[in-house]
Amino acid sequence: MHHAYLDEYTDLNSLIHRLDPRIKTIILFTFIIFIIMTKPGIFLSFACYALILMVLILFSRIPFGFILKKSLVVIPFVLLISISIPFIKNGRIIADYTLGNFKLRVTYEGLMSFFTILAKSYLSLLCMIILITTTKFSELLKAFQALKLPRIITLILSFMYRYIFVLQDELMKMQQAKESRSIGSSRWFHIKTLSNMIAVLFIRAYERAESVYLAMCSRGFRGEMRTINRFEIKTKDLFFLFIIIALLLSVKITVG
Amino acid sequence: MHIPDGFLNTPVVISTWALSVSALSYSLKRTKEALKDKMVPLMGVVSAFIFAAQMLNFPVMGGTSGHLIGGVLAAVLLGPYAGSVVLACVFIVQCLIFQDGGLTALGANIFNMAIIGTMTGYIIYRMISNSLGGKKRGIIAGAIFASWASVVIASFVCAIELSISGTSPLNIVLPAMVGVHVLIGIGEAVITSLVLGFVLKVRPDLIYNIA
Repeated sequence: MHHAYLDEYTDLNSLIHRLDPRIKTIILFTFIIFIIMTKPGIFLSFACYALILMVLILFSRIPFGFILKKSLVVIPFVLLISISIPFIKNGRIIADYTLGNFKLRVTYEGLMSFFTILAKSYLSLLCMIILITTTKFSELLKAFQALKLPRIITLILSFMYRYIFVLQDELMKMQQAKESRSIGSSRWFHIKTLSNMIAVLFIRAYERAESVYLAMCSRGFRGEMRTINRFEIKTKDLFFLFIIIALLLSVKITVG
Repeated sequence: MHIPDGFLNTPVVISTWALSVSALSYSLKRTKEALKDKMVPLMGVVSAFIFAAQMLNFPVMGGTSGHLIGGVLAAVLLGPYAGSVVLACVFIVQCLIFQDGGLTALGANIFNMAIIGTMTGYIIYRMISNSLGGKKRGIIAGAIFASWASVVIASFVCAIELSISGTSPLNIVLPAMVGVHVLIGIGEAVITSLVLGFVLKVRPDLIYNIA
């Protein structure tokens, strides 16, 4: 079965990959907060942030094409929500179109806020992509836990991550079996069969969860899970954190 | 509807995060009380189930397709608290791994669908199924209306957040958002009721608090 791979580039060995996951998480989350806090229309600071992100991607040795492809998948959704903004925001009118008896106005303020939103969401997207492509998901969860995300959430997420592929595989197999037998059937038939597949998947998932739980109990599970935590912050990590925060602050102070 | 980063302003980001965190920690507490140490494996595998189910595309019209969201489905099967925990986990993984919805907007996305959508959906479901006697017909009827309403209510809350943030005025974003989701909700209602109908036939014991 074919999957969208999750941890595709997390095995590379680069400066960014070797950073302590906690430090990396802090750096990229802070980065996103700086991006979001930028005032509308200050595109120079967006350019500076983009430049820093480019350098980070370069250091991480992840192909630019991969990151571009991954980031473009989300852009249609962003455009869908924001495309109306230049037309509906009040302000100085810079263009006027008449289509029949329908009037379209583009305002300067609207255009500014449209591009600001686009820049903010794209740059934040790049931050998340850098984080997830340079860190294994299990390490990321450990980092979250070290950063005080409740343990119960990280445990559920780690289980979820383990079973997403198992269940998706089952679903794809059912779908293949269905498609090979039901060519040309009515739409209602497809909807009904697909719904039944989801129901079957739920029953199987529930039963699987129960047997997983029993297997865990028989191995001594009492609601606690022990994991080895080998994280170690080196001076290199702190130095990197310091440089990035200094860069972000200097952009914020000089450009705004 | 997943809000990306950059669409919400700081006050909305902070308040939706605060609301989501407090509601979710209450839900976690109630789920833990009900499921004890079975909670982690069960919630993990069921979250993976909702995640996988959302990836299944249903034919809609002229080549377009839609998918299940699963808020009311999870709440009817597992109860409102466990249901909202499951949905929140799905949103967290979608945000982290697929960048579907922004990190700063994650609080709002969880609040809209996992908290408001699931909880109000469950209340509506309960009211309708109780008034119809809680039997099979009542469960299906309740689930149909509740899953439609949960999608519409979530889009309503989402529109309000976008307009408070100054992204677009309420009189434009509200009809646009709610209008689209009135249609999306129909799909959600159809799928949810068909799935529940099958579970009722095969394993009715898996439905939460069945009368």
